[in-house]
Amino acid sequence: MEALSGWWDDYFWGSVVVLQVFLASLVLMVIFGLIGAAAKLSSNRVAQKISGAYTVIFRGTPEILVILLLYFGSAITLTAIAQVFDPEIKFVDVPPFWAGTFAISLIVGSYATETFRGAFLGVKPGSIEAAYALGMSSVQVFFYVRVPEMWRLALPAFGNHMLSLVKDTALISIIGLNETLFVAKQAIATTGQPFTMYIVVGLIYLSVSTVITLTVMALEHYGNRHMRIAA
Amino acid sequence: MSFDLSLILDALPKMLMGIGLTFQLLILSGFLGLVLAILVMLMRISGTWWLSWPAQAYIYVLRGTPILVQIFIVYYGFPQLEFIRESFLWPVFRDPFGCAVVALTLNTAAYVSEILRGGVLGVDRGVLEAGEALGLSKSQRFIYLTTPIATRLALPAYGNDIISLLKSTALASTITLMEMTGIARTIVAQTYAPYEIFVSLAIVYMILTFLIQKLLARIERFLGRYTIRES
Repeated sequence: MEALSGWWDDYFWGSVVVLQVFLASLVLMVIFGLIGAAAKLSSNRVAQKISGAYTVIFRGTPEILVILLLYFGSAITLTAIAQVFDPEIKFVDVPPFWAGTFAISLIVGSYATETFRGAFLGVKPGSIEAAYALGMSSVQVFFYVRVPEMWRLALPAFGNHMLSLVKDTALISIIGLNETLFVAKQAIATTGQPFTMYIVVGLIYLSVSTVITLTVMALEHYGNRHMRIAA
Repeated sequence: MSFDLSLILDALPKMLMGIGLTFQLLILSGFLGLVLAILVMLMRISGTWWLSWPAQAYIYVLRGTPILVQIFIVYYGFPQLEFIRESFLWPVFRDPFGCAVVALTLNTAAYVSEILRGGVLGVDRGVLEAGEALGLSKSQRFIYLTTPIATRLALPAYGNDIISLLKSTALASTITLMEMTGIARTIVAQTYAPYEIFVSLAIVYMILTFLIQKLLARIERFLGRYTIRES
């Protein structure tokens, strides 16, 4: 255990990076999921086809492959684009943070697409008809009826998507993001204690997932408060 | 920047050389994981606290940490511990293939045991009561009534887990195993053509996912054949 002293601050900053990736990818994941669900539910055939392809591609490909492709691919593409404007540029470096965040939110967003689609379909038609009968506009129906009813239905699966995001953060260390797994690698190079160092990483991820699980449980409790039978 | 078709034709056979290793990892850890999952699930539903608590702790830890961290703990971490180096299992942990199988097995077992538990809990009570009324013992009821029905109920979710296991085998490339992703990463390091190589490999994985889905759909139809009403 004494090998750990001196590494605590590195682990702390690594955990901060994990949380930053989580928050950024959470926002992106919700956006991708909502766009995907909207496209799947729309009557436009092209939009349906595109979002169908999106979910098939990102659910059928290993996460690490998507991360590697986006990281190395975007570097090449951006270099080529930059060379058009300035032939002097040899190489454009893409920050692993954004390449990785983008990759994992695309992946988990494809799962969220299905979750959101199912949740929107689970909104009772009666509620929507009642809202229209009351003279609400379709925008009002969306925000006052559809969203409040669907988020409760989507929550259990959405909680699992958040856990996937956190766990996929570890994969971004492969392209050089300085999160906890990356910190552990450096610590092992100095101390030669891989078991201790990786167990710490495991505990950090375990505590983050625990916090998320508890938050989702509390939200579910809150979301279903009108479903409880008064004692 | 161009899309080099001859490069793909050159690299694809090389990557497919790794498909055997991918399948070995998938089948071996899929089988061992299923056996372990049944064991963990039985402990979890046993109703005895000293069996059910360890099972719950196991599921909680393995599902709360990234699989990459688990692979690193087994491959890099375990050799730090003396009792593992001296145990009869050392030949397994000395070998990256053995480590990958151990880590993937432990990981998938945690998820599958919860899927199986969902199946067991989903069995209609009436069926079990009927069995009891017919004089079947507790173990007979479990083997002849619960098992076949729970298998059918758990199969769709289990299929998704096999697909995520397939995607997890790609992570074996991080501990020097030359399965398909490992070979692809070597080729990209030599040619620096991430688009051609990674996209064609992604298509290979998607085809595998598709085939697994088709196979499972066929098994599902077979197991559910008596639930289809004849018109």
